[in-house]
Amino acid sequence: MDKIKNWVVENHDLAFAILLAICVYGYFALTNEYFATHRTGFAIMERFAVLGLVGLALTLCIIAGEIDLSIGSNAALAAVVVVRFTDSLGAFPALFIAVSISTLIGAIQGYFIAYLRVRAIVLTVGTLMLLRGVALFAAEEKTVMLTDFRVPDFISTKMLWYFSPASLLVIAMFVVVGLFMSYTRYGREIYAIGGARKEAVAAGIDLKRPMIIVFAISGLCAGLGGCIIGLRSGTAQALGLQYVLLAGTVAAFIGGVSILGGKGGVIGAAIGTLTVNFLNTGLVFNVTPAFMVQLYLGVLLMIVIMFQTGSRIFDDYQRRQQILFDVDARKAPLLARKAESLKRQ
Amino acid sequence: MSAPITQPTPNWLERMVRDYSAFVVALVAAFMVIFFIGMATAPNFLTLFNLKTIIRDAALVGIMAIGLTFVTLSGNFFLLSLKETAALSIVAFATSMSAGYGFEISFLFTMVIALISGMSQGVLIGLGGNPIVVTLGAAGLLFGLGSYWSDNLVISFRRPHGAEWLGTGSFLGLPNITVAFILIAIAAEMTLRYTTFGRQVYLIGANRAAGKATGHENFGMAIKTCAIASVCAAFVAIAFSAQVSSAHVNYFSSEFGSSGDMTIMVIATVMVGGNSIMGGYGSTLRSSFGAVFISTVDNMMVLHGFNSGPRVLAVGLMIVFSIMVFALVRRGSRSQE
Amino acid sequence: MTPLLKLSSIKRSFGAIHALNGVNFEINIGEIMGLVGENGAGKSTLVKIISGFDDGYTGSFALNGAEVRFANPSRAERSGIAIAQQELSLIPSMSVAENIFISGDSVPTIATRRALALKAAPFLEEVGLDNVDALMAVNRLSVGEQQLVEVARLLAQEPQILILDEPTAALGESDSIRILGMVKRLAKRGKSIIYVSHRMDEIFQICDRITVLRDGESQAPQPAAKLNVASLVELMLGRELVNMFPAHGDVTRDKPLLAVRDLWPDGTLEPFNFAVYPGEILGLAGQLGSGSGDALAVIGGAKSCRGGEISYEGDVFLPASPTEAIARGIAYCSDDRKVDGLFLGRPILENMTSPALKSFSRYGILEHQKEREQAFANGKKFTVDVSRMDAEAGVLSGGNQQKVALGKWLAINPKVLLVNEPTRGVDVGARAEIYQKLRDLANEGTAVIFASTDIQEVAGLADRVVSFYRGMQVGEIAQEQITAASILQQITHPFDDVPQMAEMAK
Repeated sequence: MDKIKNWVVENHDLAFAILLAICVYGYFALTNEYFATHRTGFAIMERFAVLGLVGLALTLCIIAGEIDLSIGSNAALAAVVVVRFTDSLGAFPALFIAVSISTLIGAIQGYFIAYLRVRAIVLTVGTLMLLRGVALFAAEEKTVMLTDFRVPDFISTKMLWYFSPASLLVIAMFVVVGLFMSYTRYGREIYAIGGARKEAVAAGIDLKRPMIIVFAISGLCAGLGGCIIGLRSGTAQALGLQYVLLAGTVAAFIGGVSILGGKGGVIGAAIGTLTVNFLNTGLVFNVTPAFMVQLYLGVLLMIVIMFQTGSRIFDDYQRRQQILFDVDARKAPLLARKAESLKRQ
Repeated sequence: MSAPITQPTPNWLERMVRDYSAFVVALVAAFMVIFFIGMATAPNFLTLFNLKTIIRDAALVGIMAIGLTFVTLSGNFFLLSLKETAALSIVAFATSMSAGYGFEISFLFTMVIALISGMSQGVLIGLGGNPIVVTLGAAGLLFGLGSYWSDNLVISFRRPHGAEWLGTGSFLGLPNITVAFILIAIAAEMTLRYTTFGRQVYLIGANRAAGKATGHENFGMAIKTCAIASVCAAFVAIAFSAQVSSAHVNYFSSEFGSSGDMTIMVIATVMVGGNSIMGGYGSTLRSSFGAVFISTVDNMMVLHGFNSGPRVLAVGLMIVFSIMVFALVRRGSRSQE
Repeated sequence: MTPLLKLSSIKRSFGAIHALNGVNFEINIGEIMGLVGENGAGKSTLVKIISGFDDGYTGSFALNGAEVRFANPSRAERSGIAIAQQELSLIPSMSVAENIFISGDSVPTIATRRALALKAAPFLEEVGLDNVDALMAVNRLSVGEQQLVEVARLLAQEPQILILDEPTAALGESDSIRILGMVKRLAKRGKSIIYVSHRMDEIFQICDRITVLRDGESQAPQPAAKLNVASLVELMLGRELVNMFPAHGDVTRDKPLLAVRDLWPDGTLEPFNFAVYPGEILGLAGQLGSGSGDALAVIGGAKSCRGGEISYEGDVFLPASPTEAIARGIAYCSDDRKVDGLFLGRPILENMTSPALKSFSRYGILEHQKEREQAFANGKKFTVDVSRMDAEAGVLSGGNQQKVALGKWLAINPKVLLVNEPTRGVDVGARAEIYQKLRDLANEGTAVIFASTDIQEVAGLADRVVSFYRGMQVGEIAQEQITAASILQQITHPFDDVPQMAEMAK
């Protein structure tokens, strides 16, 4: 019991995320008899396959103290590429090409952010537009479609009640990235440049490497997500997928990242995305129009922001208390020496 | 280190040289080059009608960009909720118009809504919230509200109505919306240059800590600039609604620009105009020129028969180019220290 | 025997300033070499050269008898020279072990936190942190322990020479003792340590030899045993005094203009009490971390305090923000002009008038002509080059930037001017001008309070001195008694009872 209590105190953000996820799930499970079935579970996992990747990518970016606004465009580009090439080259080569392109785009972005020393939001607004143009170009401004629907059928095959090849792939991705972030020096560098960039640079970290890695992973996730959507539905639009930015950001923040960077993790990203998916799916079950989902997501994000702003003000207060406490703890011997020397005079 | 005599106030030419760096000159030069290539290759380009079309196309994005420039110059990055503010505003305006309240009341009603939404975002930003995340959340919220209010339907109001003069009227041969763009551009530039508020925008944007130390707090500034940006977005919404006598929340997501995203077009305009995204450097005039520039390039590409893909690509390239040049120019000037 | 590190006739100049003018420096294996000198004597420049941050010097730099030159800090690190700077470079939210293995060649590519902790253990033991859990986040440690972690991080890179730049400046007694103990232990194990400090007691406790820098020139290193506090002070201060200080004014001290009662800034040990009279220049003397600058920041509304009050013009108040202080005619100029003193990207003119925009505007409209006249007049008073009034402030030299940062406050006609470090990073010519201007202002009736770590500056400029030591107010020196030596004594070892810290360290 004590162990659990300690864990909650240590990871209160994660604990809060889990609580929120349970609440959302519980609400829909109680109000809708079909919600807590494995059929719905499968639907949620199918959504997770895409949104999870975006949430993961944004989580990494925000951990590094940046944000990738171009993620939707990058995903759309990958979707267009994979759908266009699947018929002629086969699914795997097409997937490989699309994901490589997205990853490369991400890495180049990361390089320029570190080289130009600009904030990522600035550069990625530009690439958002640029990649849309490229995607429109690649799609020849049409909605591209598959002719052979064996691939879509395959990746949505139900496995083990809840999963499909797509969602299993995404779960594997989460595990790999999670291990990478926790157990390698590169992952630690990403945490370092996010939480305390000045100190990290002073300690001798070169910004380029972590920046390139973060944005390459972000590109990889975006590309993979785009490919899954494209292949699953068999169609792709160059201007689609812009909604993933809001949903992914909400997921990342629910998962416990801080806009100041250096905080959060892959498990949080997974829980955050699941919460958003419970909400999405639940609202669809309750016949809520699609635009209302955006409203709820917006409200959710605003609440998280207010909560974070408040907690930052509280943290400042606590830090000050800590300083005062430290002073009080160490002042006695020096003041005694002063008093003694005054007495002598 | 003897002190020279007081210099007279510089005249406009000296001020031009002082305020506009080589980069702006380069931007203008690029504009000229494209202008001339366009003139040479597309015979219809240099007609008066086409020129009017260019400025007219630039007007709506331009007005929003002018509003956003205040936010950017004051060091608060940009707002991702512009098109959603416009979406909510257009629904508010059309609902009020179709209910028969007349132009003035509807206009005021819309502006009040935009002010409230802008100021509440400003408060959160002023308290230290990240502008991008705050406005991303606000975007979802405002769009959802707009959809909910309008039930995701088109609201139309019958002609003749009191807003027609704004939407389709003209003055001295120029469409009124173009006239509004020019007037707003002049007013904004005058505000930045000749008012205390304008000076504070620059000072806080250049160095927030020094601004605080000299008695200019960002809290009020964030609220004011966000309110300005929102009001500009609402004005654009009203003008557009007056033009088409209807409203739908998706107007600013699908009908605008070839990219289908008004917010990004507006941010692009501010960036292409050569304003510093970190604040403290730039002007609304630059954003106005940026809007005309993008519109000109787009117009020429249309005349040359390009599809939307290359056109969006061109805008994207322009943004990335301006970010890079700007980052390099700034870095160059810092390394001189 | 050849010294491990030997620098001879090192020269380094920045523009017209000769920061180092023929410095010789050496250190042997396992030796603790104290490096002392006043502020501006060239200590930090020398340290930067040794640690590879600065390679714009001339002279010979030999390591192990071989001539070397480091183009950047990582080269120096590879050659076994590591530096712990005053600002910590730790990632607060990460664990101790992760911080120790954050960068460098010794970092394993893949490792669990536990494995890192195991690997970190010997280094933690070496700095005396063996009781600290290596999995704990760094921000849970005290400042002193963080300082030790920083050193452990350096040790993980197996350096031969360790430079410690004022490691105890921000620390209390017990943490200082731990640092000193660690330094001795490391030296016993064969590391060479360059110890930069202002604290006399520490220097004498741990250093084997002491090198004194004075005005960019070095004295031959002397064994610490051959020196005492008095003779060391003499070595440090023996610089010839250029008379750059204006004559003192006549101050009638009957009614204070501003009096501080029990003002207790955050982070200082006790409340402060002092007053300033119209037309007086009050100097607050103290080293880094003494609290003198904090007192000024609180009066200027730029820092929070635990309590106390300021009585000023028959009113008692405590400013919550700089805006409030400005409204009362109190101007505060911080010690770092780049952070909050200047708008570097804006024209000098706008900088000069930034605190007083309201006085140049009617109904919110700026009166450009009036603003220009005022800016030019104030600029000329502070000998700012007015022909460059429309240039960006960022293009000015350090001295001129400081003049703008100070001169901008003339726009509000301050009754009290608070200046923290009036001449940091300023060349000699501009210094004299700044001193003269501060004196002129005082003669016009403004009360000036400045805080400085530069002893000569305090001694030469102030009409009265209040001294601070480690967050305590320790003394007051009247005009007749002000000498560099008396100030130095009060701010470095005010209690003549140097306890046997060496014993405590064991």
